[in-house]
Amino acid sequence: MEISPDATVLYEWRGLRLTATVAYTWLVMALLVLGSWAVTARLSRGERVSRWQVALEVIVSTIRDQIAEVGAETPDRYLPFIGTLFLFIATANVLTIVPGYQPPTGSLSTTAALAICVLIAVPLFSIARRGLGGHLKTYVRPTPLMLPFNVISEASRTLALAIRLYGNVMSGTVIVGILISVAPFFFPVLLQLLGLLTGLVQAYIFAILAMVYIASASRTRRGAAGTGAAERNDRGD
Amino acid sequence: MQIDWLTVAAQIVNFLVLVWLLQRFLYRPITSAMRRREERIESRLAGAREARETAEAEERRLEEKEADLDARADAILASAREEAEELRARLERELREEMEEKRAAWRRHLAEERDALVVSLRRQAGQKVLRIAERVLADYADSDVAERVAGTFTDRLAALDAETRDALAEAAADAGATARVETGHALGTDARRKLTRAIHEELSTDIDVAYSEDPELVMGLRLSIGDYAAEWSAARYLRRLETELGEMIDADTGASGREGDAEDEGAEDDRADDGAADTPDRETERQTR
Repeated sequence: MEISPDATVLYEWRGLRLTATVAYTWLVMALLVLGSWAVTARLSRGERVSRWQVALEVIVSTIRDQIAEVGAETPDRYLPFIGTLFLFIATANVLTIVPGYQPPTGSLSTTAALAICVLIAVPLFSIARRGLGGHLKTYVRPTPLMLPFNVISEASRTLALAIRLYGNVMSGTVIVGILISVAPFFFPVLLQLLGLLTGLVQAYIFAILAMVYIASASRTRRGAAGTGAAERNDRGD
Repeated sequence: MQIDWLTVAAQIVNFLVLVWLLQRFLYRPITSAMRRREERIESRLAGAREARETAEAEERRLEEKEADLDARADAILASAREEAEELRARLERELREEMEEKRAAWRRHLAEERDALVVSLRRQAGQKVLRIAERVLADYADSDVAERVAGTFTDRLAALDAETRDALAEAAADAGATARVETGHALGTDARRKLTRAIHEELSTDIDVAYSEDPELVMGLRLSIGDYAAEWSAARYLRRLETELGEMIDADTGASGREGDAEDEGAEDDRADDGAADTPDRETERQTR
């Protein structure tokens, strides 16, 4: 029994292996991009709006609202990163109901890649927000004694992100696989349904946690004037 | 549990590519479309709000105008009603005055007519009485009476006051004319002679005396020389009686409380009636004077 889609090699050329993980990632990407493109190519700016456009607007505005709830002053700034995390993970997880599909999020390589993206994005947003010096100062807060703990916290939460997603998705797949061999009828369907729910929850958790990390790292603790300047900068973007 | 670092790198690239693609195809178009729609809706709402404010202002203005017009119409109506009332009152008053005047004129006219009727009735009654008296006198006056009249005339002539006698005598001497003696009835020869003699004696002239008859005198005698005349007759008494009767009637009607104008008119009418009825007597009287 294959635990990870990394093990499934679809094509190999001169040492470069096209694993199922990458292939299904491309599938998910293609679905997302083509779906978006199909809708946004005929975007209506008037009052008559197609249902698909309404659906996409609902999704996008919900993500923005969630980002805003976490505490970001300018949701549009984080929307592409956080939104893509959520959409990619959710789509990858939901597609598990398609027979023969192996979720790329069930691969530790994928989740690690996403966690690394978050690991890099947090300081990047923080630096963009308050400069390199400002960002580096966050590691010595509230005292320089906290520096090692801050660093460890950064590394551990990245690891946690990766392992949490991987564990949940992988476990779902594994449990279904085991149940099919034990009780082939009915129970796997229930667990499949449970897996869909778990997948969406994991997507939500992953995206929200990433946003929380980014927000906590880039949250300004300056005065009102500084905040105003920052807002102006944001609008400039 | 294994990590294929090559796959990790590929997934990182994949993820970044996906971020870029979704930003290109999903987030940007959707957010811009939403923003534009929101802006349009906002602008439309603002427009609607503005239109509503304009409409409300217009409504207020129209309401004010309507109220103003209502008030003006009410005022006009009230003034028109007042004018109409005034006009009605005035017309009514005028009509009433006119009616009152007409009624008063009619009453006056009625009273005048009644008075005139009364006057005329009295006058006619008086005249009838006179006529009856005249006729009775005329019927019962015979030659004897004429003779006695002549006698009476003679006595009267003798008893004339000096002034009249002088005037008669002067007239007789002046004219050399005849003295005319008119009597109600034919006189006998003796009576004529007696009379002629009395005239000659009293007036001391030899004037011719002509005799004629005038039934109007009823009974009695009239002597006229030139412009002067002396008369002793029943007609004269009757005339005086008539005059006195007329005066009494006039005084009576005058005392019955008629207004000045009407009284004057009535008096004139009376006189006219009088004149028409008594023309011959008048002439006689004028001659007498």
